[in-house]
Amino acid sequence: MRYIAAIGLALAFIVSAPTLHADSHTEASAKFIATLAERAINSISDTALSVEERRSKFRELFREGFAVNGIARFVLGRYWRKASDAEKDEYLKLFEDVIVSTWADRFSQYTGQKFEVNGAHPVPSASDQENVALVESRFFVDATTPVRIEWRVASRGDLFKIVDVSVEGISMANTQRDEFNSVIHKAGGEVSALLVELRNRSGS
Amino acid sequence: MSNSVFGFKSIRFAVVLTLAGILGACATTPSNDPEARAAYDEANDPFEPANRLVFSVNVMVDQLVLQPTAVTYRDLFPDALKPPVHNFFTNLFMPLSFIHALLQGDLDRAEQAAARFVTAVPTLLLAKTMPEKDPIFEDAGQTMAVWGFDAGPYVMLPLLGPSSVRGTVGTVADFFIDPVGWVLGTEASIGRATGNAVITRSRNLEQVRDLQKNSLDYYAAVRSLYRQQREAQVRNGATEPVQPAPTIGLELDDPGKGPKETASGN
Repeated sequence: MRYIAAIGLALAFIVSAPTLHADSHTEASAKFIATLAERAINSISDTALSVEERRSKFRELFREGFAVNGIARFVLGRYWRKASDAEKDEYLKLFEDVIVSTWADRFSQYTGQKFEVNGAHPVPSASDQENVALVESRFFVDATTPVRIEWRVASRGDLFKIVDVSVEGISMANTQRDEFNSVIHKAGGEVSALLVELRNRSGS
Repeated sequence: MSNSVFGFKSIRFAVVLTLAGILGACATTPSNDPEARAAYDEANDPFEPANRLVFSVNVMVDQLVLQPTAVTYRDLFPDALKPPVHNFFTNLFMPLSFIHALLQGDLDRAEQAAARFVTAVPTLLLAKTMPEKDPIFEDAGQTMAVWGFDAGPYVMLPLLGPSSVRGTVGTVADFFIDPVGWVLGTEASIGRATGNAVITRSRNLEQVRDLQKNSLDYYAAVRSLYRQQREAQVRNGATEPVQPAPTIGLELDDPGKGPKETASGN
């Protein structure tokens, strides 16, 4: 009886293995988010950290977990092509600095709220070299108020990176892009105007 | 009663007049530069100068009236009574949601709205924290979206806040459609709107402060958030369609390739 069960199990595994493999990046993406969140909560929200220590820990995780340059380019939108190489280099650096200082400070207000990953499903990818998965999660502001957070994770083999985060259906990348484009548009299309603003922010 | 109806109508009428006035003050359409033209089309905000003006007045009114009221409510109103009060105001939106869910042909959500309305009554009396059914929010703007109308340009309404041409038409339509208005009178509608504004504001005090502090262009940030939130509401929270982040790929962030070589490409 036990053998039959074992054979049945083995068969089931063989039969389901190909489909499992096809969608394994979604599973792996969900695990990637859960692990990253746990590490962030453990390391960055430590109240004993100084502001500088927290920012440097956040920067490390941000670089590791997010497609920082890809996001930065998307956020600059149509002005990416207009920017000079020097502007691009400075912009990429400032973009990271501003995100790091803003979000590291937000993490300092974390007081043990529950975070859970609820699953993942594949979404179409623009590139045939990449898989994209949408990882669904909930963050509990308080015991009865969950906030829906979706993580868009792109992967190439073993390389996993977050390319966008949506909170209650609002994409952070889209919001940042609309805002940056407005700053540049107001200044008559000059990317340098955005750099001035970002420089002011990154110092704080 | 008829007086106050007239009063409320005059407010709406004033809104319409203001809008008409705004039309005269459109942002200048850029003509030569294709990039500027594309940015202008994408923002879809031809009334931007007027909208920014109204926005700054709204922000001022918020700082002077709404925010202090919301802080007082948050700090002085007993915490134990907040959930039932919140439920009460939420519940007053369910009849309108019910009608719009039906108009959208969404029987499930119509049923949910009705169920929420009914189940919340004993919950209110017993002052429990949460009714079992989640509330449903549907309005004429969302119904028009389901029917295929585009949102149209962005509109910043005095006091009522961010909207679109479609949203503004919807707000006016809902004033006539809303059963709460017929049954309880216009005072109840205004009371509900006011109560809801205070409650909502008391729950987003930190977020708004954070946004004001961290955004480079507060007006543009609010415009973007409003649009995305409305789209999410129209989808009823379903996962966004295929398109959203057009192409954020890993080509700049793959350590095997190195960001520099591609950074200046494209």
